[in-house]
Order: sequence, then C-alpha cells, then structure tokens
Amino acid sequence: MNKEALNPRIVFGDALLEAGQKNDRVLAISTDSSGGSQLTAFKNAFPERHIEYGIMEQGAVGYAAGLATTGWVPFYAAIAPFVTGRPFEMLKDDLGYMKTNVKVVGRCSGVTYSDLGPTHHSIDDFAMLQTIPGMTILNPGDPVSIKKAVLAAADTYGPMYIRIGSPSMPVLYDESINFEIGKGIEMREGSDVTLIATGTMLAYAVEACEKLEAEGVSVQLIDMHTIKPLDTALISRCASKTGRIVTLEEHYINGGLGSAVARYCSETNPVPVKCLGVKDEWVGNGPYEPLLESCGLGLDQIVKDIAEFAK
Amino acid sequence: MSLTSAEELKLKKKALDLRTNVLRMMKASRAGHVGGAMSSAEILTVLYFHIMNVSPENFKDNNRDRFVLSAGHKCLILYAALAELGFIDYSVLDTYGSMGCLLPGHPNMKIPGVEANTGALGHGLSISGGMAQGLKLNGSDARVFTVMGDGELAEGSNWEAFAAAAHHRLDNLLAFIDWNGLQIGGKTADVMNYSPLTEKLEAFGWSVINIDGHDLNAIVDAVTTASETKGKPTAVIAKTIKSKGLSFAEGKAGYHYWKASDEEIAEAEANLEQQRTELTAMEGGAE
Ligand SMILES: [Mg+2]
Repeated sequence: MNKEALNPRIVFGDALLEAGQKNDRVLAISTDSSGGSQLTAFKNAFPERHIEYGIMEQGAVGYAAGLATTGWVPFYAAIAPFVTGRPFEMLKDDLGYMKTNVKVVGRCSGVTYSDLGPTHHSIDDFAMLQTIPGMTILNPGDPVSIKKAVLAAADTYGPMYIRIGSPSMPVLYDESINFEIGKGIEMREGSDVTLIATGTMLAYAVEACEKLEAEGVSVQLIDMHTIKPLDTALISRCASKTGRIVTLEEHYINGGLGSAVARYCSETNPVPVKCLGVKDEWVGNGPYEPLLESCGLGLDQIVKDIAEFAK
Repeated sequence: MSLTSAEELKLKKKALDLRTNVLRMMKASRAGHVGGAMSSAEILTVLYFHIMNVSPENFKDNNRDRFVLSAGHKCLILYAALAELGFIDYSVLDTYGSMGCLLPGHPNMKIPGVEANTGALGHGLSISGGMAQGLKLNGSDARVFTVMGDGELAEGSNWEAFAAAAHHRLDNLLAFIDWNGLQIGGKTADVMNYSPLTEKLEAFGWSVINIDGHDLNAIVDAVTTASETKGKPTAVIAKTIKSKGLSFAEGKAGYHYWKASDEEIAEAEANLEQQRTELTAMEGGAE
C-alpha cells in the first residue's frame, strides 16, 4: 500500500487540541500517561484545562463525571485496558447511568502493546462497554476518521468511548469524508460477500479486498467505525445484497463487533456471518505484526478465510 | 457561628421531621436501609436546612452547593429531606418500594434534587471531587458536601479520591463520614478496621474534625471551620448511633436493613411521638 501512514496517537492529540480551541469547556485528563496519550500539545496550549490524577484509573472516571456535571467536557485518555476493564463499574454507573458528558479514550488498544502481554492488551473492551445503555463506542480506522471522531465526540452530548491503536495507520480517506456517529461508511461495492471491518483492521480489510478482487471474489467493504449504536440499516442492506457477511476486528470474537452483527442478522435478516478476531484464548507476546498473525489476523490469513467463506 | 437556641430547636424538629418521613417510607415498603439513614439525620438536617443554598428554585443554578450521598443506601434520609424542601411531594414517600416508583433503594438523578447516581460504594467521593474541581474551574465559590459510610471506607477507590482531592487542594469539598461503627456484617472494627482514621486522613493531606454526629452545633461549627480552612479538603468524622431514634434498633447491626413488622412500626411511631412531645415541651419552655 503506497499510502501515507500517520501515528494515531499524534493524530488524536492534534484533534483534541483543535477540539479544545473550538470549545473552551473541553478538558484533557491524564493518569500519568499524558505524554504517551499525546496530550502535551493540549497541555501547553491550555495548562489550566489539563488535569493530572496519577495512576488512579477508577477514581479518575468519577472525577471526570463530577467535572462533567459542572459543565466541562472531559476527555480522559490512557492505555485502553486501564480505562475500560479496570474502572468498568465507574463507566457503568458514573458515565452510563448518570449520562455524563465524558469521553474516554483508550489508546494503544487491541494487542498494540504486543510484547507487554495480556495485562496490557485490550481485546475485551467492546464486549464490556456494549452492555452499558447509552454508551457510544467509536473505533475509527484511519487518521482522518480519528480526527473526525474526536471532533464529533466533543460536539455530541453523552458518554463515549473512543478506541485508537498505536502503530502507524495508512490514510484511507480524504478530509471531505462524511463521518457521522452511528453511520458506517461503504468503502467499496461488491457482490459476493460483505466485509465489515473496524478500527486498526480497516487498512488490512482494504488490502484484503484488493487481493480478493484479483482472485475473482467481489467484496462489499464497510468501515464500521461506530460499534454502538450499530448501523443496523446498513448491515441489513448488505446482508440482502451479498447474502454473506464477514466481520473483522482486533478484539475477541466473543462480545465484539462480530457478535453484535451476527445477533442482529440472526434476528432480522439471517445470513451466514463469519467473525474474524481473536479466539477465546490468551494472546502471547512478541512484535505486533507477528502477534496479529498468531491470532489469525495477518493479511494472508484474512484473505484465505474470506475466500473460503465466500465460495 | 453556633446556633441560637431557637435555631437549634427548629433544626431538632426538622431532624425529627426527617426521621418521621423515613418511617413513613418504611410503613409503605416495610423494608429499607434504615440504620444508616437514621444515623445521618442530623448531618443532612444541618446541611440542607442551615448551610447549603439548595432549593427547587435554584437547582439549575450553577452556583448552587452540591450534596452527594456516597453511601447511597442511606437514601431514605435524603428522600426525607427532599420532601421537606419541596423537591418531591410528600405523597411520593408513600410509594416507596412499589413497582416503578420514583424512589429506588439507591438515589438517582431522575429524582428532583439528586446530584449523582450512587449505590455502588466508593464512587461518591470521586464524583464529589470532580464537582468541587469543576466549580473551582468555573470560578464559583459553591461547595460540595458528601456523606460517606464508615464501612464504605474499605473501598479502595475512596483512597484514590482522598489523595486526589488533597493533591488538587479542593478546599471546597467537605466529606462527612457517618461513623456509626457498624456495617451489615457487624462492627466495622471487626469486619475491616480503618482506625485510626484521623491519622490516616491527615496523612492523606486532609483537615480532619471529630464530632458527635448528632450534635447540631458541632456539625455547624465543623462546616464553619472547614470553610475557613484553605488549601485542603476537610473530613468530618461524625460519631453517630446507627438507627438513632428507634429505641429497639439503636446500635444494632441487624437493623442496617430493616424488615419492619407491625409491632416494630408501632414501636417506632411511639418513639418518634415521644420525641415530638419532648421537643414541644422544650418549645413551650423557651417561650
Ligand atoms: Mg456504618
């Protein structure tokens, strides 16, 4: 792929700075990872709107909720597992149940911290957060849509989770793309099978579609950047059109995007759904790309799985 | 500034009104967390009827003081106060425990006057800290008052919240700890001992005041001292009696959650009537 690649964390940091310039109620919250979350530019521009809490991921969510009740719009960014599984009850009660206007940003999600092992992997966050009524879950799949997701989150009331990775991501969109929370993007027309991809897997999906096309498999590609609320109308349309759906995500197949798509289809428009993601097992450790391959999420394996399923 | 004797008598009657409202809800539902509600009656009375600038009229005002019931299971006493303030109609109290009623067994913001959804322990102090910090950022001089339980202190998230409030110098935050010495499983000291609490909280950077949590003047004085204390938050360790006001239940862990029989309801009513008679006599004496 000859596309420009950008560091998603830097893109996020720049987008938050822009959100902070547009809206003087936006806050940046850190739990000892301000630099890692690329909050430094925001901190330098708005030191009084950057709050550090130290490594207290549960308490920080409660503080963010309290800040939100006084009219602030906190963006709380840290390593994904520590802002999701660690403070889950605070997300449920203080953000979801209280409907507070807090944006939680899980960065270096999935198996980004590949060599650090399962404590630092975040492949269960969709599963947990999807159970919270009213919680919006965004998982943008390229630098342009990361920026648009952050700006849309700042402009839209309600608790949200934005998931971003860390390895450089190819730019897949130009700035004119219409990014709307809750609306998937049709990136490619196809007739044999629909591939619904999200987040870090989107660039893999784009490449897979090209390879599959060369093999004579016509793939309809959807960027499902919003996990919740799910764009069920689009899923329905694709199910009717291609009769088969593959989902692709850097998340457990248990409770992820694939589970949500399969449940929706089985109730409303039954078609075979194949879920590509991390199986029900502990992921090991090592460099990122080989680790993804060990999870069955390498490009060749993805192409093979889709080709077989599309037959 | 201490209370005049007339003010004190008025607040004593208000505390009794709150306990009477709690009993009214218990008569309707026959089950509820009454022990900790009764132990914190004086604290809520002083806060809502002498200290805080909170009313149904100003509840949308950003400069209102905030009250958060971190120990959400003490909600009966909060609902009792909200009825006295006119946030909810008295008749709503009679629906307590019924299907879909406005008042769940832990408070939420659907109820007029409630600032936070609490119930899971160890959340309220963080939320309160965030409110206090947000108010400071807004340039408001409003204050945040939180009531915590003593058993609740075993939740680790509270200690995150204590540390952060001191670190960020939230001197507009005041946490009352309703130290009734009991929790559902027995004596707090036996279940999980958090004594000595004063030293722990001081080491966490808080100003700490120890009082008798049923002494109205002591509560008022503690709030006055807290508002004069700059640069750090204040904790008031309020020594109280669980189920205070119900003679058959006072100081008994078994009444943390009271499933009330007809006989106990009658006895509780007699207790509160007796207290009202005594207050009326004091009123006569004061004239
Ligand atoms: Mg207690």
